Amino acid sequence: MVSENVEEYLECLWELTQDGTPARTSDIAKRMDVSPASVTEMMQRLDSQGYISYERYKGATLTEKGLRIGEAIKRKHRLLERFLVDVLGIEKERSHEEACRLEHMLSDESERRISEMMNNPSTCPDGDPIPAMDRLRPSGNEGTIVLSEMGEGEEGTISHLACDDPQKIRRIIAMGFVPERPLIVEDRLPMGGPVLVKVGDSRVALAKEYADLVHVRTRNRARHRHHGDR
Amino acid sequence: MEVLLVGNPNVGKSVIFSRLTGVGAISSNYPGTTVDYLKADMMVNGKKVTFIDLPGLYSLTGGTEDQRVAAQMLRSSSPDCVLLVADATRLEPSLVLLFQLIELGHPVLVAMNMMDSARKRGELDIARLSAILDVPIVPTVAITGEGMGELLRAIEGGQARRSTFRVRYDPRIEAYLEVLRLGLANFKLEHPVRGVAIKLLEGDEAFAEGVPEYILTQVDRLRKEFRKEHGEDLEVHINRDRYGEAGRILSEVYRPKVQPRTRGQRLSDLTLRPRTGVPILLAVLTLLLAAIIGLGSWLEEALLTAYASVTGTFFADLAEMIGGELGTALASGLDLSLQAILAVVVPYILLFYLLLAVLEDSGYLPRVVVLMDGVMHRIGLHGQAIIPMLVGMGCNVPAILATRTVESRRERLILGTIIVMAVPCSAQMAVIVGTVGSYGGPVYVLAILAILLGLVLLLGRLLHRALRFEPTGLMIEIPDLAVPRPRNVAVKTWMRIKEFFVLAFPILLAGSIALELLAAYGVLAKVVEPLAFFTEGFLGLPAITIIALLFGVLRKEMSFQLLVVLFGTADLAAVMTVQQLFVFALVMATFMPCLSAFAVMVKEYGAKGTVLIALASLALAFSLGGAANLLLTYL
Repeated sequence: MVSENVEEYLECLWELTQDGTPARTSDIAKRMDVSPASVTEMMQRLDSQGYISYERYKGATLTEKGLRIGEAIKRKHRLLERFLVDVLGIEKERSHEEACRLEHMLSDESERRISEMMNNPSTCPDGDPIPAMDRLRPSGNEGTIVLSEMGEGEEGTISHLACDDPQKIRRIIAMGFVPERPLIVEDRLPMGGPVLVKVGDSRVALAKEYADLVHVRTRNRARHRHHGDR
Repeated sequence: MEVLLVGNPNVGKSVIFSRLTGVGAISSNYPGTTVDYLKADMMVNGKKVTFIDLPGLYSLTGGTEDQRVAAQMLRSSSPDCVLLVADATRLEPSLVLLFQLIELGHPVLVAMNMMDSARKRGELDIARLSAILDVPIVPTVAITGEGMGELLRAIEGGQARRSTFRVRYDPRIEAYLEVLRLGLANFKLEHPVRGVAIKLLEGDEAFAEGVPEYILTQVDRLRKEFRKEHGEDLEVHINRDRYGEAGRILSEVYRPKVQPRTRGQRLSDLTLRPRTGVPILLAVLTLLLAAIIGLGSWLEEALLTAYASVTGTFFADLAEMIGGELGTALASGLDLSLQAILAVVVPYILLFYLLLAVLEDSGYLPRVVVLMDGVMHRIGLHGQAIIPMLVGMGCNVPAILATRTVESRRERLILGTIIVMAVPCSAQMAVIVGTVGSYGGPVYVLAILAILLGLVLLLGRLLHRALRFEPTGLMIEIPDLAVPRPRNVAVKTWMRIKEFFVLAFPILLAGSIALELLAAYGVLAKVVEPLAFFTEGFLGLPAITIIALLFGVLRKEMSFQLLVVLFGTADLAAVMTVQQLFVFALVMATFMPCLSAFAVMVKEYGAKGTVLIALASLALAFSLGGAANLLLTYL
């Protein structure tokens, strides 16, 4: 499970990166009302978990995985605001706070029903757009994720390799990155360093440029261990 | 009879090679230790057997320079036995390599190595595996020598066989293979038709030789067709099937035991995770430096004191006994050469190699690679480059060969230049620590090392810019940590420093006697004086040191040893100031490559590049020396 705090950050990042540029630490700190130092720490953590890609002086951008969560939370937030104001008649000012808390509990199922009940509204009470629910659902290769975006401790099975450079393909094949083999991400090194992957019984350090080519079907997200469990 | 040792990197081929032949092959605990093949002839039961140790490889297709060497050797020779060394603890990649050897029709024998660790992890049914694969398998533990007798008997008894085992590929691929089999049936090929057909479908051009053009066009069409229909490259699918097969076989013959996490595994994690790994790395480096500077200086002094008390007036007596100028020259030449060996080779070079061997065998180096990868990218290299650089702190010759493990030619050139110009080899380190370190203090050593580190970064940045293109990424297998075995550490260290005694000592001895004679007849002064404007005027060094600098081209440590000879004393503080020693050490630290390094560079990078690098480093060394002299004099 993703913690509420992480969801809040991803939601905030989603909004700040709408203009297509990385979100800067200072802007995130202002928006989240926390110190820049704790933002930096959080960004490094989110980076190591594969939600964002963070570079110290540039800022943060969401990975596909982070984008999916950030957008879902924002979507739920705006839909809930609409629901609170239009259906329950709560004041607009209070609806924001309330939605901030509820957005983390709302299941996809309930979200879909609320949206349907209200005839799929397209904007929140402030006039901002509500993203469509199925916008980011992957089609075809459902549930696959690029190895470079997997978080620490996540595991899965290689589904396919995507690359047009036969030289590169051969090298990753030779290292044992072949469809249907299981792998676990053990660690992600900072500063654009490699991903440490256990593939089969071998442990391999793989640069991002190679990790980008390996697509993985993840499983047992629930088994993803929390830090300090053992 | 010819035997090729083949296997994935870091499975213990070189250890087995050494065990079988008694010929020392350097082995360490990281992938890519062996970058060139090594050959040894042996008489076994009256039969001559040639063993060839190949660099490790993951696949017969693709790979880095060192792996291509191995693949090429396999293609071009027709050995009587291909000895596949498999890692019993990570069987799948070994099996996949074995499948390829079988497909190409090689007579194969398997050494199932690391059986001791494998037994702890689970149960492996060797007899069953051997039956499935249709190849003889000998269980071994190379590091203890277990199974070596059986292995030798199996090799000599001609037990290696062409297996009838076949990987079952996807029906579509099998259909393609059938098409190609019919097409190729009438051509004379080096390998079985099926094997060649598979390699062609994998897109390996090396096997295209002797295959007519129209079939290659057909292969190309099939590859495109497959990609279009399956959305996957043919070589990916072929390997998917191989690993699938390997996995199925493994599940039949291997039963893993559930085992608790050991202390070793926990330590292994600590060395890899940045939060703990970076402090550990810094601690290791600090310890290494402290050991060489502190322990080295202490050892040098202790040895020289002991030497003085043991020899006493022996050399003076010897000089008298022989008599005349010649007697003095011979006696003091011998005396000073021995002192030079004690002052340089034993305390610094031996010590460094011992420590390096411990680090190599522990499996720690690949961890340094991983931790430094991010930093190394800034200078246009990736983490893998750390290993050649560390090896280069021993000697530049194997370091330059080790650059083969780096992927592109561009990076090999950057790395080679950095190693030659800015990474101090153990001989250079001995010069630095033994001269200015001993008499001026560790601060000066650190200052020179800081300058060198600055040079590494600067050179890296410059070359990175100049050669453009993006650096390729890191891909390296991380072995488990292991406790280094004293025997291997000792043998390896001896192999590496042997030449300092057997090769360098005679040169040093002859050189010193000659110099003593030249000095005695006043010839030396005449040679040295015309260059004094440079030595004294520009570098601020005593004129006679030019001789030491010149000999530094031959061997780096000799420059230091000859200082001892030229001044006739091992106490350099009496004849040179700290500033002079600093300038001398700085010049030697960046001096042009020694003769052996020069030769190997010509072989690896071509003559033009090598001369360029040599001249550049010579210019750099003298500019740095001159600048240091100016700065220290006027500040």
